[in-house]
Amino acid sequence: MRVFNAIIGFCLLFLCGGNQLNAGQQSDAATAAAPIRFAVAQAPLNLDPRYATDAASERVNRLIYHSLVDFDAASKPIPKLATWVAISPKEYRFTLNKSSASFHNQAALTAHDVKATYDSIKTLKDSPHAAEFTNIAYIEVIDESTVTFHLKQADQHFAAKLIIGILPKGLISKNHDFSHQPVGNGALEFVSWQNKLSLKRTTDGQMITLTEVKDPTVRVLKLLRGEADLLQGDLPPELVKHLQAKPEIIVKASQGANFSYLGLNMRDSVLKNLKVRQAIAHAIDRQAIIEKVMVKNTRIAGAILPPEHYAGNAGLKPYDYNPTLAKQLLLEAGIELPLKLIYKTSTDAQRVRFATILQAQMRPAGIDLEIRSLDWGTFFEDVKQGRFQLFGLTWVGIKTPEIYSTAFGSQNFPPNGFNRGRFSDAELDSLLAKEDWPAATSRIHAQLPYIPLWYEGQFAAFNKNIKNYLPKPDGNWDDLATIAYKK
Amino acid sequence: MTGAAMFLIKKLSSLATVVFGVLLLTFLLIHLVPGDPVEVMLGESANMADREALRADLGLDKPLIQQFGSYLAKLAHGDFGRSIHTKTPIIDLIKTRYPATVKLAVLSLIIGLIVGVPLGIYAALKANHWQDFIVTIVSVRLSAMPAFWLGPMFMLIFAVWWGWLPVSGMEPNTSIILPAMTLGFGLSAILTRMTRTSLLEVLNDDYIRTARAKGLSEKTVIFRHALRAALLPIITIVGLQMGSLLAGTVITETIFSWDGIGRLLVESIEKRDYPVTQACVLIVALSYVLVNLLTDILYQLADPRVRRA
Repeated sequence: MRVFNAIIGFCLLFLCGGNQLNAGQQSDAATAAAPIRFAVAQAPLNLDPRYATDAASERVNRLIYHSLVDFDAASKPIPKLATWVAISPKEYRFTLNKSSASFHNQAALTAHDVKATYDSIKTLKDSPHAAEFTNIAYIEVIDESTVTFHLKQADQHFAAKLIIGILPKGLISKNHDFSHQPVGNGALEFVSWQNKLSLKRTTDGQMITLTEVKDPTVRVLKLLRGEADLLQGDLPPELVKHLQAKPEIIVKASQGANFSYLGLNMRDSVLKNLKVRQAIAHAIDRQAIIEKVMVKNTRIAGAILPPEHYAGNAGLKPYDYNPTLAKQLLLEAGIELPLKLIYKTSTDAQRVRFATILQAQMRPAGIDLEIRSLDWGTFFEDVKQGRFQLFGLTWVGIKTPEIYSTAFGSQNFPPNGFNRGRFSDAELDSLLAKEDWPAATSRIHAQLPYIPLWYEGQFAAFNKNIKNYLPKPDGNWDDLATIAYKK
Repeated sequence: MTGAAMFLIKKLSSLATVVFGVLLLTFLLIHLVPGDPVEVMLGESANMADREALRADLGLDKPLIQQFGSYLAKLAHGDFGRSIHTKTPIIDLIKTRYPATVKLAVLSLIIGLIVGVPLGIYAALKANHWQDFIVTIVSVRLSAMPAFWLGPMFMLIFAVWWGWLPVSGMEPNTSIILPAMTLGFGLSAILTRMTRTSLLEVLNDDYIRTARAKGLSEKTVIFRHALRAALLPIITIVGLQMGSLLAGTVITETIFSWDGIGRLLVESIEKRDYPVTQACVLIVALSYVLVNLLTDILYQLADPRVRRA
């Protein structure tokens, strides 16, 4: 009995200790405005923009730091911190806006900070962004607000690459740990990062917290319970519909720009035949998938960049669902039916669901699809190494049409680019070299080095006491700069 | 030298051997799995010169045996290295994640013991009666419920419908209750079955009959004589389960957003964050070995025959 009492006592102490802490926290909270709590599927990994590559880190870093350049709705580069002029094909001069805010540590943002930021990326041995800036010969500070980038080779898209957040020179020289204690000059200022990331809006002091909740069902439960105020993306459609039916929840949707596709291995003895690729394209009923298992505002895709992009091609006609034609094309290609193909995907539940749908849709066309669901690391490694016949992936946040060169240029097989399907076409290379994007995208669409699927719609769900938040086509979280509680 | 000291020395030396084996195996396996840490760090677009420079900088261009040697030397100084992605010192990650797992494991074990052992005793005392039948059905059902189902059910009932507890996360402190219940109830089902079976065996022994014939109260017979003898298999199960709990219960930690070692390990494998994976595997292996050592010591305390042997 004594043992039993001791155990009960331990549990009570354990919980009371916790409650005392809560009370303390609550009193702190009472003095500050209630934070807006954002439950995310994946927490940022690194808050140093020189290292960050994952989507969550890039989305948060856009809010903590400002870059020289941003993009408009058509994805054309526009001034953010600075305006620019191409003095020559190899010289770009940037002039900081007079309104460029100071850093969160109150230091003024000058041309020296711009130079220090890009110089440091070039010298960091382990920065994944270093390769993007190898074309910079040197950076020259003209005056406090003017800086010139001198390039080794002409690059008319250079300005669009300067999207790395600017860091204070003084802290760069001290090897400050920006990964965990970022100091930028963006709309949100870093406060703390322990279990959750806490940020403070510079304009009104509104606190915003980001908490990682991996499981989609749990994210929804947290929103319904009032433990989270906002969710964005990464939910299966049935959960989105469930939220839409709740009167206390608002769901906002918008068109997306992230491109999902089936990758094909062009070195495969079967898939190098164009008729087989066309058969696969005709064996997928995209419209049915979009209607039944995708979120609202998902649309059929024709190319990596959407039609509204300045290099988009609205004239690409989607391959219609026609299993009879698909079967005929396979027979014309001399394929013995059923054609057995292996489709690799990650273990993500939604991805596996798509795979099973594709498998069912392709069967009437005479294609026997075997699904191999692999953990992300193994799957992506196989894709990069070309160990696949078909795979499914999504391009996220692509802004510049150079993607067509890096993804399909015959000089861009990994590790020199993203041409993972090892597609090689002299005509396309020539069009890409001329930057004739409409002709290049038409050629890609006709040759089918990949099977375009869709641009997944974006959505955000939040409590009805929240306002000023809309999901963006590339899924960024920019509206955290404006989100607020309704009064 | 006493028998107990000899026993400890023997156990500790085997512990050292196991740990060295784990270190060697993890190191070799990490170098065998597909994926290159340099590519993880620099991305697909890095040029060959940069890759080679970083490879040399990290010492990855050296022979494997030399790399293992310098890894052991760093480890001896408590240096686990840094995470490839977050650049955080791994020792800091372990310092925050492991205590969270220990906390969850201990509370789960307490729940498992509080629920499982009394129910097992009750079922044994009411063997073949309807009460035993109900306890058996409940425990079998509980042990068959996976955490990925039981966890969300608890969230729905205790957090969303009744509003008693938080859905998930590390704050407030009451947020540990639901994951601990999820793990503890599963454990209690095993303990109930084990306690019942073990106690039933003991209750049929001659010395129990003798104790009853001497006129001892039923409470004394059960708790002082029978239960003590029935404890050995329960200690074994508790030891094994505690080892698994300390290794991190990935599903429960993921569902409840509990920042423990299991979740860290799985995330590091997914992201090919090799130094973190190595450190986590080492900690998990150490936990298993230490819990086994503790189980052996408890065995000695519970059963004088083992001590004498």
